[in-house]
Amino acid sequence: MDTPRMTRPRVRLVGGVCAGFAEHTGLPLPLVRTITVLLTACGGAGLLLYCWLWATTPIAQDSTDPLKRVLTRPSDPAAADGDDAPARSAPVTEILLGVALLAAAGALVASRMGVDVPLAFVIPAIVVLGGAGLAWRQFDDLRSQRSSSSSALLVRALGALVLVALGILLFFVTGEEPNVWTVFIAAIAVLFGVAIVVAPWLFRLTRDLAEERAARVREADRAEIAAHLHDSVLQTLALIQQKADPASDASRLARAQERELRDWLFAGSPGSSVDLADELRRLAAVVEQEYAAQINVVAAGQSPSSVPDALLGAAREAMLNAARHAGGTVSVYLESSPTAVELTVTDRGPGLSLDDIPSDRMGVRESILGRMRRIGGTAELSPGPGGAGTEVRLLLPLTDGAHHVDV
Amino acid sequence: MSMSDPSAADLTVVIVDDHSIFRSGLRADLADGIRVLGEAATVDEAIALVVATQPRVVLLDVHLPGGAGGGGAEVIRRSAAQAPNTRFLALSVSDAADDVVTVIRSGARGYITKSASGADVSDAARRVADGDAVFSPRLAGFVLDAFGAVSGETAEASDELDRLSAREQEVMRLIARGYAYKEVAASLFISVKTVETHVSSVLRKLQLSSRHELTAWALERKLL
Repeated sequence: MDTPRMTRPRVRLVGGVCAGFAEHTGLPLPLVRTITVLLTACGGAGLLLYCWLWATTPIAQDSTDPLKRVLTRPSDPAAADGDDAPARSAPVTEILLGVALLAAAGALVASRMGVDVPLAFVIPAIVVLGGAGLAWRQFDDLRSQRSSSSSALLVRALGALVLVALGILLFFVTGEEPNVWTVFIAAIAVLFGVAIVVAPWLFRLTRDLAEERAARVREADRAEIAAHLHDSVLQTLALIQQKADPASDASRLARAQERELRDWLFAGSPGSSVDLADELRRLAAVVEQEYAAQINVVAAGQSPSSVPDALLGAAREAMLNAARHAGGTVSVYLESSPTAVELTVTDRGPGLSLDDIPSDRMGVRESILGRMRRIGGTAELSPGPGGAGTEVRLLLPLTDGAHHVDV
Repeated sequence: MSMSDPSAADLTVVIVDDHSIFRSGLRADLADGIRVLGEAATVDEAIALVVATQPRVVLLDVHLPGGAGGGGAEVIRRSAAQAPNTRFLALSVSDAADDVVTVIRSGARGYITKSASGADVSDAARRVADGDAVFSPRLAGFVLDAFGAVSGETAEASDELDRLSAREQEVMRLIARGYAYKEVAASLFISVKTVETHVSSVLRKLQLSSRHELTAWALERKLL
């Protein structure tokens, strides 16, 4: 059940089939489009395949955060959120209708000029095509806005279906001698034609409904659980931290639990990338588990997603030092501009100056200063807030933008 | 202000939170000299209580049920006009920018996380009552980001709403690094009062600025 399903994106050129297929298989989109066009030239095989996939693949879902809705639930749940209809950049039904009209005009002109056009065949075909195009358009509208003014849309859709039926009947009235069999075949043909036009819509409507119901149940369940955890467990953990001594085990455990729970509750989309700020938070969590310290990580700016490991190593060492020798509250501040990454680790411990450190202490000299120097950055040690504690400042210039990846 | 009333000097507060455990815990922990006038658990209860009791400070949870679903921000919007002397201090289990900026832009004077101790909350409530702003390190980080300070934008005129002055940026950077106001003042060789003025000015910009990042951010979350 875990195999990813092929879905069509919400923003598409025609039906989103090529984009969905490219996404699913990992092939480049232009290649998929070209192959589709080539296959279409081969007796319409590409077109048939396209239509089949269009009818059978669902549209991609966009996920919204249901938790906030539940936490601040209105007293009267009247405000409903309308989900946006998929946006298409090529007007397919309009193109179909236009082609039908152009073909009609062309056939008319050609017959006037004396060319022998099988009008008895062409005119019904155009009527059927136009009717099908109109019907599909109405069904699409009907599907995207189910509730509002659906009766008017339904009438229009039925009108388009009548057009289809009329077109099919036209094939037969031009025949020579109407007998029981032609009437019978005409009736069957009309039923069959209308069924073909309606089938994809019905098929998708039922699948939409089933999917929507399942999704709603899933989302409601998850939101209920999340809201319950948020209301009970998170509040209790906050209360424990409020009551307990910040350096105590109870406070530390509560903090670690809170972080884990919060990660689960507010988990972003699974594909979201891990940037420098996330890495720092992860490191801080690891250090916090070992030492009696609280590490607050604050990030400003678009943090780069790839930085040299040495920067992370130096940051980790600075956090470890602060947690080990100072404890209490340690603040980490990361500021990432397009040209440089600046990271400060501030503690309120006994303080430490570079001159006091024996040269054989690897910790600060090698792991922080040396590491930063080797990747072309700098590291400075200075007294912390108000002259107490220590502040380690790491600065890494991003010269060529090689380390900075814009998302 | 009758001098015969022994509690006239007390700071009056109202606690708004939908968790009774948290309300009673906070109530027990608040410092002496802070008098709790009442508690409320929903948006509608909170508005009625604030208007009826006219407290100096409302300790307001960001996520609240009831009303039109606007949570703490809705309480501020709907009761501020009828309680002109009341200031709002927002409380939440997280200090994520989503939660913070919504209530700040609705008019809250500051923000503190629920894991803060009773003494910290009392201190923040006093500062808010005095007309100062309360900033968390994370909020300072968000402000630096949203006003383009990270990419080097600096206000040229002092009345400019869409960018921070050089001094305001320095103050915000130190707050983001976890400095207390007193430590900020010592590091920049200015008075604590001056630090408070800068922070209040930043808060005003955060509330009133029509800077693209803030308005786009607010629009996306249907705040405008």
